[in-house]
Amino acid sequence: MIAEAALSSEATGSLLGRWEARFKLPGLLMLIFSFAFVRDLRLLLPLLICAALIYRFSGLPLGYLFSRLRLPGFFLLAMAVILPFWSGQTELWRFGPLALRLEGLIGLLLITAKFTAILSVAVALFATTPLSQLTIALRTIGMPWLLTDLLLFTHRYLFQLAGDLRRMRTAARLRGFLANSLSSLKPLAYITGSMLVRSHDQAERVFQAMTLRGYGNTSLPLPVFRPALSDYLLLGAAMLLAAGFILAQYML
Amino acid sequence: MHIPDGIISASAAVSGYAATGGLTWLSLRGIRKQYVNPRTGIPRAALLTAAFFAASLIHIPIPPVSVHLVLSGLMGVILGWFAFPAILVGLLLQAVMFQHGGLTTLGINACLMGLPALLAYFIFRLRYVFGWEKPLPNAVLAFLAAFLAVAFGALMAALLIVHATPAYMDAAAERTAVMALSLAYLPVALIEGIFTAMVVIFLLKVQPDLLEGDRR
Repeated sequence: MIAEAALSSEATGSLLGRWEARFKLPGLLMLIFSFAFVRDLRLLLPLLICAALIYRFSGLPLGYLFSRLRLPGFFLLAMAVILPFWSGQTELWRFGPLALRLEGLIGLLLITAKFTAILSVAVALFATTPLSQLTIALRTIGMPWLLTDLLLFTHRYLFQLAGDLRRMRTAARLRGFLANSLSSLKPLAYITGSMLVRSHDQAERVFQAMTLRGYGNTSLPLPVFRPALSDYLLLGAAMLLAAGFILAQYML
Repeated sequence: MHIPDGIISASAAVSGYAATGGLTWLSLRGIRKQYVNPRTGIPRAALLTAAFFAASLIHIPIPPVSVHLVLSGLMGVILGWFAFPAILVGLLLQAVMFQHGGLTTLGINACLMGLPALLAYFIFRLRYVFGWEKPLPNAVLAFLAAFLAVAFGALMAALLIVHATPAYMDAAAERTAVMALSLAYLPVALIEGIFTAMVVIFLLKVQPDLLEGDRR
């Protein structure tokens, strides 16, 4: 997760870690979207080099990136099985009913390169930005306060509730419940219902306690925001790169 | 039904963000109409969003495999107008924390889960139109809401995967792929419908005001 505790000293002290989140988020998001525009195979190498450099500037170890790529990689694996054999007309090789097709292979290459590049930049962005700063940056780029408040609260409760659910399921197992057939649907529905009821009751108490502590008081002063020259320069570089990829795609 | 980064075209990703922007605006308008102070609904929506994402970790055994629940229908039934922002925020957290889903596809994924959730909300609201208060008709509506939410989401995802990915298929192969992908979700939709109906029966017995949020 990207909570403050997960940020290593290398990541926070790195070039990306020092880049102000209010500039880093729009800058890297623009770059990520420009990667999504790439369809020309000749742009894949510059795209991967750019992503690798950005990841290098995050100060994160390579193993961290691989661990983050594992889960979404399963979808890519499914595409690798389907695309080269079912997509396209130009057959490169045939083995019985299976035919390897050129268009499918090109599609897979494009998807793999873009997926790796976008994920690398996204991992670098979020692993060097604490959630509190990310929320401020999201407000700066126009996200409504209702969504940012919802984001902070949900993050706060996600792990607590996952723990609650784990404990409820352990208690059910200790009483002899085994989820091994469709007949376990009813107990699982009741466990979910119980968790929703408990969450609802807790939410009411939390809201009252927070109101007492000043939640919703908009008259509180906001912290002063003074960006450094390096923040502007990095944002300019990211915008130039993003524009470069989009222009190159349409000119090539 | 999470589409990762790099799979779909940039134009589809941008369209997804535009649609998400519109649906978020519509939901926020609905929330402002429903709550005098929208802030009062946030802790409840956040806790329930977290609870939904924890509950989606539950795997239902359909021998010989097991499936995990989508719960978009149940979110619509309980959260009402808050369902779309809650799903958007939940997906953003999943993309940020676990790289599950994607950043460029966040808009698309929010529509794939959020639109069916809103559909489920409107279906379940029919209980006020008909004045149904007994458990059985409410359970039938909840089943329909969740079943149609998953089926609608699966159909949208299948159409998107076939049309917005760099896959070059003839029209017949496209139709077969859309049909196969949608049918694969049919058992999940049925299970989800039954599961949601059971949760609704439980809530009607234990805490019916949890299902009354949209009446305010």
